[in-house]
Amino acid sequence: MTTVEAPQRPPFWRDVRVLSWAFQLVVFALVAFFIYWLVGNYQTNAERVGISTNFDFLDQPASFEIPGSEFSQTQPVRDAYVEGILNTIRISVVGIVLATVLGTLIGIGRLSRNWVVSRLATVYVEVVRNLPLLVIMVFTFLGLVLQVLPTIQEAWTPGGIMVFSNRGIAVPWYEGNSGTVLFLLFLVGAVGWWALARWRQGVAARTGAPSRAGLIGGGFFVAVMVIGWFALGFSVTTPVVEGRLSVGGIRLDPSYFAVLVALVVYTASHIAEIVRGSIQAVPKGQGEAASALALSGFQRMWFIVLPQAMRIAIPPLGNQYLNLIKNSSLGAGFAYFELTQVTQITVGNGSPAIPAFTLALAFYVVLSLITSAAVNIANRRFALVQR
Amino acid sequence: MKRWIALLAVFVLVLAACTGDDDTAGDDGGATTTAGGGTETTAATETTAPGDGGESTTTVAQVADESLIETVTANGVLKCGTRDALPGFAVLDESGEHVGFDSDFCRVIAAAVLGDAEAVEHIDLETADRFTALQSGQIDVLVRNTTWTASRDGGEGATFMQPNFYDGQGMMVSADSGFASVSDMDGVIVCVAKGTTTEGNAAAEATRLGLNWEVRAFDDPNLIQEAFLAGQCDGWSSDVSQLVAVRSVYPDGPDALTILPEVFSKEPLAPAVRDGDTAWAQAVNWAILATIQAEEFGITSANVDDVLASSEDINILRFLGAEFETDSGTTVLDPGLGLPTDFAYQIVKQVGNYGEIFERHLAPLGLERGVNALWFDGGLLYAPPYR
Repeated sequence: MTTVEAPQRPPFWRDVRVLSWAFQLVVFALVAFFIYWLVGNYQTNAERVGISTNFDFLDQPASFEIPGSEFSQTQPVRDAYVEGILNTIRISVVGIVLATVLGTLIGIGRLSRNWVVSRLATVYVEVVRNLPLLVIMVFTFLGLVLQVLPTIQEAWTPGGIMVFSNRGIAVPWYEGNSGTVLFLLFLVGAVGWWALARWRQGVAARTGAPSRAGLIGGGFFVAVMVIGWFALGFSVTTPVVEGRLSVGGIRLDPSYFAVLVALVVYTASHIAEIVRGSIQAVPKGQGEAASALALSGFQRMWFIVLPQAMRIAIPPLGNQYLNLIKNSSLGAGFAYFELTQVTQITVGNGSPAIPAFTLALAFYVVLSLITSAAVNIANRRFALVQR
Repeated sequence: MKRWIALLAVFVLVLAACTGDDDTAGDDGGATTTAGGGTETTAATETTAPGDGGESTTTVAQVADESLIETVTANGVLKCGTRDALPGFAVLDESGEHVGFDSDFCRVIAAAVLGDAEAVEHIDLETADRFTALQSGQIDVLVRNTTWTASRDGGEGATFMQPNFYDGQGMMVSADSGFASVSDMDGVIVCVAKGTTTEGNAAAEATRLGLNWEVRAFDDPNLIQEAFLAGQCDGWSSDVSQLVAVRSVYPDGPDALTILPEVFSKEPLAPAVRDGDTAWAQAVNWAILATIQAEEFGITSANVDDVLASSEDINILRFLGAEFETDSGTTVLDPGLGLPTDFAYQIVKQVGNYGEIFERHLAPLGLERGVNALWFDGGLLYAPPYR
């Protein structure tokens, strides 16, 4: 007589579940202990030689100034960090927009049936993508800014409203009220435009009357901006050369210009490849169907192919955006006052190095996580919903 | 899985080796205690077992309570933090040797401690990294034209020695710029090197004089030179000694640049050692003072042997570590600095006195002795009596 024995659990040292848990716990404990050990070493050693490991230095006066801002040397280090972060954001946002536009154009260019255009785009991608960013930046600073732009004594002043020199590019700007007010004004106009357009589209759908959404919404926007501009006391200042600097308008720091151009040129070469790959990943039938419906070349690209390509492109584009933000720290070498530059200078003026750089690290992580989250939200919104 | 366990074992072994603990780390439990031993080591309870020599001296944790004077003597080499591209102070010659005023003071310290001026390992540091290198024990002494300030003394974990050069921040302009004085410079761009107090001093001076200066801070003096040549900067502000050095190798010739007469900061350049090691600090300090004392006595590398053979002056005999008569027979002065009794002889014989070092490296750049003359010549150099 045979009995069927119930399958026994193996002893715990041979139980796969127990083993895998134990292994993970050990790894976790080791890593945690290693970090604890490093931090403990740092703190003990820093204490032994009397270096502060806390963040009190943030309240000390900064004792340096930041060109192109109101920041003065008596303000605390804290405010210098804020300026640095703002400058990092300024160059990153503009850089991301410009790199996306340039990269998309070049990516489309690579697929062009025009031989010259596609060759040019290929050469651009293959050359720029294979250069280190730092080399490009040295080139844009030493070559473009210092040598191509004229000295202030020989500045170009096209139309008398702009000043181009190697001390910066000055353009007309507003004055008379704060930038926040101008932004709010813009916001009111834009929201009004959107609301009016929705209303008109609803009317058009119900009654069949022409919607004229653009005309009415845009008109509202222009009216708000023009009336607000004069009512709130805004006016335009144009830059003029005075002595060795330009005054009036707003002056783009020459280093900003050099770093921005380098970042855009470099990142665009990567974005171009992403865009090309994404376009080629859109099924060929889509383009052929568009042609069959007699859409023009532009319409086919703009309404049919690109929207589907962008859906594929969003995740890798997000990577490039993160790279651009982090690469902007190279601007510190070229006198652009972004986060890394501020950190280095405040350390040079007596702030403790490790807390100061830890703070910079934390800001880069936060900036990157925010960007990453934005890209993920966009991705979720545009991703094909599949069942 | 097996591979992972093997990797883990390697990791554990490495950790055990790093902490220099005697536990045999065969299992995970062993690893934990090993790491625990590591943290204790930091608190300097069980340092330097005689056997674990070379490797363990590289970890910061183990330099705890032993004076560097013993470590340096045991290693037979002085790790001196310096730089490689400041003419006059420290540059590399054709054969890759460090040459300059600061490099010679590294040799002075090595001659005093080790009796051999060439037993120096010159470690090139960036301006922004120099204190971190000192704190971490990467270098034994920092001789890198570093300004002695209160917050560096207090906040950077550094102890400053007798200044070997009294400097001050000045301003250099193009000879054809028309500026004759710093107060002429309103609405200008001033370029400085980053990582020092230079930009803070410039900002303070501009505020004091009521002038508008835009201070641009670069990583690299070569970039400043490019920006200066291209006319992006009106002024180049730095310590006068550095400006003189830069001017001596300017591409358009030294006469193309003028150093304005004003000096708007005190910059006592002093070697520095790590906080909390009094024995080492005293030894280094007296090595520097010996060069001044030798010049006061008129002892040079050329005549030191004659002086030693013929001098009857008890002060000189004491200083050179020679035997002299006392009531109880002949003796040699050992002031208990932890240095060999003939350290001053070795310094003068192998490197020279202060005046010789100055003439060798700084006079060719066009620098005058000025405040760096001996006290009886109207300067600031004054050595406490050696007795």
